[in-house]
Amino acid sequence: MEIENTALAGTLESSDIQIMISKGDGKITIELESDVKKEFGDEIESVIKQTLAASNIESAKVKAVDKGALNCVIRARTLTAANRALGIADKPSWEVL
Amino acid sequence: MLLEKCKSEKSTKNGETMNNEVVDLNLAEPTIFRQWTLFMENRGIINFDSSETRVIDSTIGIFDDSDRLIATGSSSGNILKYIAVSDDESYTGLFNSIVSTLVSRLAQRGIFHVFVFTNPEHMASFEFVGFKKVAQTDFIVLLENGDQTIESYLQSLPRIEGNPKIAGIVMNANPFTQGHRYLVEQALLQNDFVYVFVVSADYSLFNSQERYDLVKKGLSDLSSRVIIVAGGDYIISAATFPAYFLKSNENTIEYQSELDAQIFKERIAKALGISSRFLGSEPFSKTTGIYNRVVQETLEPDINVHIVERKKNDGRYVTATEVRKAIKNNKIDSIEKLVPDSTYDFIKSNLGRLQNRIERGMNINGN
Repeated sequence: MEIENTALAGTLESSDIQIMISKGDGKITIELESDVKKEFGDEIESVIKQTLAASNIESAKVKAVDKGALNCVIRARTLTAANRALGIADKPSWEVL
Repeated sequence: MLLEKCKSEKSTKNGETMNNEVVDLNLAEPTIFRQWTLFMENRGIINFDSSETRVIDSTIGIFDDSDRLIATGSSSGNILKYIAVSDDESYTGLFNSIVSTLVSRLAQRGIFHVFVFTNPEHMASFEFVGFKKVAQTDFIVLLENGDQTIESYLQSLPRIEGNPKIAGIVMNANPFTQGHRYLVEQALLQNDFVYVFVVSADYSLFNSQERYDLVKKGLSDLSSRVIIVAGGDYIISAATFPAYFLKSNENTIEYQSELDAQIFKERIAKALGISSRFLGSEPFSKTTGIYNRVVQETLEPDINVHIVERKKNDGRYVTATEVRKAIKNNKIDSIEKLVPDSTYDFIKSNLGRLQNRIERGMNINGN
């Protein structure tokens, strides 16, 4: 699936992550801002990619501002942002989590 | 919504979680307004010029347990303003709460591209929450965040191959006159190509689509050498230069002009290969007069600035202000010589609609 609209989920509070998803250029690109990017940047990006892949999203631009979120939070925020962008936030595909 | 955290926003003091919720502040309430201005004055924000405050769409705040304001932020269109947090170091997360709440609220309204002005010493705080610098002067930084960037704007513009001499002109063209056309012709005498940036902000009698179309039509015979583009958010917009459209004091006009010129020099001209900028001399408008001077000071020596003496008709300067006055006074015959046929025809066939806008309060004396 392709993302056409922009959507946002999550906050900048401690232990959270803010995810903005918008129209991509044929692939998944991730721009990550995190205090622990050096230590966990690859892991955070791979969790985002897996969550999008599980939702069959192949093209999207993702801006993520991480404030120390756990993987389950990253998955939840990514899924919510993706569902909002696809206009299906009222019927989320829970099995993705 | 299902997966979102419940609404209360938390901040912590001395490690203990407090339930200091983010609440709406009604600035129309005098006691709230006083508390709000006082708090910000203590944080070094002192400009409460009504031209700045009356365009605010919403203001939020956080109070401590004894009802003192400890953080606040506002938004106006897609611009975050008046963000201030207590410098009591035992509070953490106030700044992130405020920015996060403002950004989420704008997102709910479908606004995903957000700007903030701040002073250079606070730039890092905004960068930590995902904002990127657009341009900077000694006093002010413009940052942006979201699904568009100045890079994506610049990539969307047509490029000219090779190494030609290229000039840039910025115009509001409210509406397009023979004076605007003359300025473009002057630039073409000394350049191979000219980019014409039409101001996109909608504060003028002629809306941005009408102004853009009339510029396009009025220059259609020169289209092989003139590239007409919309200025978007980056040229004399509400983000770069709100004072251009509002009555503002001279300092405000000056620092905003400098930021606008800095964006043109560092980002736009560099990306498009523009080596000179053409401006019309300004005999009347105070704002434009200051703007011209500051643009020249900021752009040179990197970019050559040419201030061209305005075109005259029967000994009088051709101005769009004159055209707007004639519309108001129902004397459009008097302006036939001042505008190209395309503009004249448009005015003639839309006269009622334009006069209506003036009657409904559209200011025609500004820019």
